[in-house]
Amino acid sequence: MIIERARIKSNCEVAHNIWEMHYEAPNIADSYLGAGQFINILALDDWSHPLRRPMSIASAEDGCISIIYKIFGDVTKILASQKEGETVELMGPLGNTFSNWDNGTYPVLIGGGVGLAPILNLKKECAAKKVDHTMIIGAKSGNEHFIEHEPEENIYLTTDDGTIGDEGTVMEPLKRIIIENKNTYLFACGPEPMLHAVREFALKNNIPAQLSVESYMGCGFGLCQGCVIQRHNYEIRDDSYHQKYSLICLDGPVYEAGDISFG
Amino acid sequence: MKRGILVLADLKITIGSEVFQNPIWVASGTFGYGTEAPELVDVNRLGAIVTKSITRKPREGNPPPRIVETPSGMINSIGLANIGVKKYIQDMLPIYENLTTKIIVNIAGTDVQEYVEIMEMMESVSSVIAGYEINISCPNVKKGGMEFGVDCDMTAKLTEKLRILTERLLIMKLSPNVSDIVSIGLSAENAGADAVSAINTVVGMSIDAESGSSNIFTTYGGLSGPAIKPVGLAMVHKLYNKLSIPIIGMGGIVNTDDVVEYMMAGSTAVQVGTANYRDPGIGEDIIDSLDSFINQTNRKSATDLIGSVRTLS
Repeated sequence: MIIERARIKSNCEVAHNIWEMHYEAPNIADSYLGAGQFINILALDDWSHPLRRPMSIASAEDGCISIIYKIFGDVTKILASQKEGETVELMGPLGNTFSNWDNGTYPVLIGGGVGLAPILNLKKECAAKKVDHTMIIGAKSGNEHFIEHEPEENIYLTTDDGTIGDEGTVMEPLKRIIIENKNTYLFACGPEPMLHAVREFALKNNIPAQLSVESYMGCGFGLCQGCVIQRHNYEIRDDSYHQKYSLICLDGPVYEAGDISFG
Repeated sequence: MKRGILVLADLKITIGSEVFQNPIWVASGTFGYGTEAPELVDVNRLGAIVTKSITRKPREGNPPPRIVETPSGMINSIGLANIGVKKYIQDMLPIYENLTTKIIVNIAGTDVQEYVEIMEMMESVSSVIAGYEINISCPNVKKGGMEFGVDCDMTAKLTEKLRILTERLLIMKLSPNVSDIVSIGLSAENAGADAVSAINTVVGMSIDAESGSSNIFTTYGGLSGPAIKPVGLAMVHKLYNKLSIPIIGMGGIVNTDDVVEYMMAGSTAVQVGTANYRDPGIGEDIIDSLDSFINQTNRKSATDLIGSVRTLS
């Protein structure tokens, strides 16, 4: 884990309300282990917003890392206002990575909303290792997509309103892909309802799946105990520690679908 | 991250029979067990580490969401998630043998018997710990310590029971969520406490206007960070005016000015809390700049600051 003052290399809106920021952060980029890991960003040096914001790493190469973020609150507005050449303090790389995507299975990469950041990253890693795969990205509307719907390239987009790609959620193309391919392994990141649906589908159909979950975090490295998710285990007791609840910052953010449960 | 190691001014402070190398401690629950971020902090430079509250049995803590940011602060409701006293003795005490900083063990319980049992277990083994901070004021646990922290008689009774069990430092951690913190502090002092620490978090609530939901599972949580600094300063100053034992001040400390203000209000030592989440090395930075402050203001030692505020009325 490193704290590094990083220079903003670029910061642009790539789709409606969706932004991509590149940082020059050679030390964090050097320590980066793979898709799924995140950085914890200090948006402002003052104490108006005391907590850092965790963001999944969307790429890490040549001493640079990138994030993809959606504007939905004060801090993401601050991020969007930051200009090339400014510096911000980053902590990272934190968390674990997607795994076993290169062990002979057929990875199906599923991203929803800004949860596509680690999914795009994993796609690059698959391409670099020449691992055949499919990617499905869901959004509410076409203006939130910044990549093309290219079924012939195994890239499927979905939108809730049908303006681009398949109308509906990522589950529709996922069901088709599962039928058409053998030995699939699902890798998903996105809003909780999407992860919940992917998890249910995977468990019901006995398909292995890894989910990258999002959470508010106080620190990102185990001090505050703030970012927990319940483990899927019915024998756990309350007079235990770290059996019922897992710390997303240290144990995650990537979990096997069967190991956790939502709400 | 490389940090300075040169300390010139006299930063030493004394509480009871213990001399601390400086007044900068880290607060319970904000620094884990002191071993979580070795690459970012040299813990041996700290005045003391107050370790995360331990209870008789391990605790899983509260369901999520447990934390939310608020203006210049945060609300937490962790629910005393901890490894329990047995594991603390087994796993943590041997690690502390190798540290030169002082370790203060924070203890929490739901009744007098639980506090007593924990302290008996701690005192039954040989260890290097310097003392205990007694959490009588956690707002986030049902049947939690709050009833002790809001009641003078209960505070006195608990302090007396624990005083008998240890010759180590006994520090009672006071809640700000009371009508009169001074009377609670006096109860602790009269019952034999070596010091009081103040303040624990302030009960707070956060609501998401869009969804209409509370942002914390337990509805209410503990507000910390710079937002509560004025509350902490006032309570420390009130305690300083009436108590004879040292006060360990905390609540929103993020830099050296905050430390100086807390000491001027009457703190002998201070605890850095929420700021550790952002940078666990912040205590070290503060030690270095406190050293500069003492030198530049021609003071002989950090203790010259204690209670030195000039009030205007």
